[in-house]
Amino acid sequence: MSKKEDKFNKRRLRSSYFTVIVSISLVLFMMGLIGLILLQAQKLSTHVKENIGFTVILKDQVKEVEVAHLQKSLDASSYVHATEYIDRDRAAKELQEDLGEDFVDFLGYNPLLASIDVNLKADYANPDSLKWIEADLMQNPKVKEVFYQRNLVALVNENIQRISLVLLGFSILLLVIAIALINNSIRLAIYSRRFLIRSMQLVGATSSFIRRPFIWRGILNGVYGSIIAIGFLSAVIYFAQNEFPALFDIQDQQLFITLFGIVLLLGILITWFSTFFVVSRYLRLKTDKLYQE
Amino acid sequence: MDAEQKHIIDLKEVNIYQQKHLILSNVNLQLEAGEFVWLIGKTGSGKSSLLKTLYAELELTEGEGEVAGFTLKKLKTRKIPLLRRKLGIVFQDFQLLSDRSVIENLLFVMRATGWKKKDEIKDRIDEVLHLVGLPTKGFKMPHELSGGEQQRVAIARALINHPSVILADEPTGNLDPATSGRILDLLRDISQQGTTVIMATHDYEHMRKFQSKIIVCENAKLVDKSSETLAE
Repeated sequence: MSKKEDKFNKRRLRSSYFTVIVSISLVLFMMGLIGLILLQAQKLSTHVKENIGFTVILKDQVKEVEVAHLQKSLDASSYVHATEYIDRDRAAKELQEDLGEDFVDFLGYNPLLASIDVNLKADYANPDSLKWIEADLMQNPKVKEVFYQRNLVALVNENIQRISLVLLGFSILLLVIAIALINNSIRLAIYSRRFLIRSMQLVGATSSFIRRPFIWRGILNGVYGSIIAIGFLSAVIYFAQNEFPALFDIQDQQLFITLFGIVLLLGILITWFSTFFVVSRYLRLKTDKLYQE
Repeated sequence: MDAEQKHIIDLKEVNIYQQKHLILSNVNLQLEAGEFVWLIGKTGSGKSSLLKTLYAELELTEGEGEVAGFTLKKLKTRKIPLLRRKLGIVFQDFQLLSDRSVIENLLFVMRATGWKKKDEIKDRIDEVLHLVGLPTKGFKMPHELSGGEQQRVAIARALINHPSVILADEPTGNLDPATSGRILDLLRDISQQGTTVIMATHDYEHMRKFQSKIIVCENAKLVDKSSETLAE
């Protein structure tokens, strides 16, 4: 009976570890997917915000050199993502294309002024920042007017904030679910060994001595689970890069590595703390309570 | 005995409870180093509870108690392992670690109590396995051993740290008469070398052969009956 039973016990132990690792990897994979969605949402939000901008309308008598100087100083400022100078002729041409008629010929002169289109950095693409940027620019004697669509800026910001909040709430909820599920798997695995923990206590082992191998095993399971989750995530990213190349570019590699690092770290931390608390709980329980568990 | 010398076990007016139920009241027990004590009494009379109090599994709440230099009343949780390292405990239900071999069971206790040198560890394991008559069973798992063999592993484990006190809760209950006799001889030898042994038992045959101090748990009291002759 002995060898068979021994093999059976070892297989049972391995199968219990396997179950824990599979649970951890699936939950971490879900967390990683949400991380991936958050990263893409962040990119999308930055992209949208960096398309928000304003137009600096220049006064009539401003010289080319002064325009170049102003554009340079705008490019150098902390809030600007990109600028584009549009001289009077180009402005007229663009408007003619939009209107479909030659208004310069009709009027006999070009009433449009030269301008600089400014795209803001994502962090500054909000009504408050735009207000002080406008005030700052209006102090420049070469600037006639600063034009932007206040309502659109406010609306874009409001919607991005709303979507971010929903995603953040969803992420937190998923993190709580992840912790609960992993904790539950670990608790079940350790539950079956609660009397072993008691025996260890009875022969004079300290709590930390008893906890140590459980925690190591837990962390190892966390690492294995994370590696499997990272494998699945890599497959998803590979598939997405092939199917939707516009969504994922090569610069994302660094972000993906960070995401994988976070998944690994979460795997280690959640299993570490869960194992610590579960084993500590059984260490504190009186023998009678162990039977009532 | 020197009046200044302390008892290795010293209980004064101790009341022992299991949860809220009083099991033994007004327990007074003073034992010196090297004493061998038979602890007898009916099933459920409080023998195990007394032993559990001595190894701090049951909290001492009423009375005063000291075991191997540790004050039992309000003994801090972190001090309990240190007390248990001074004791060799043979449990009625063995309490072997079922997921590891006999050698690993002994190794666990040794590592937990600070043994470091591999040669010393190996020599000591060989020594205690030989003492309990299991020199070739070190690689077996507990479930591969008979009840008697498991009990002997539990005894080997209790002996491994050269304890000041051995608390044995019916250690020969699962053994054949010959093995019981060998184990008893072993515990007597250890006792003669200065280790205090308290042995809870129903084995009157061996008690008659080896006359020693007898304490009885009856009517929720601990009574010294060393002077009485054992009934047939």
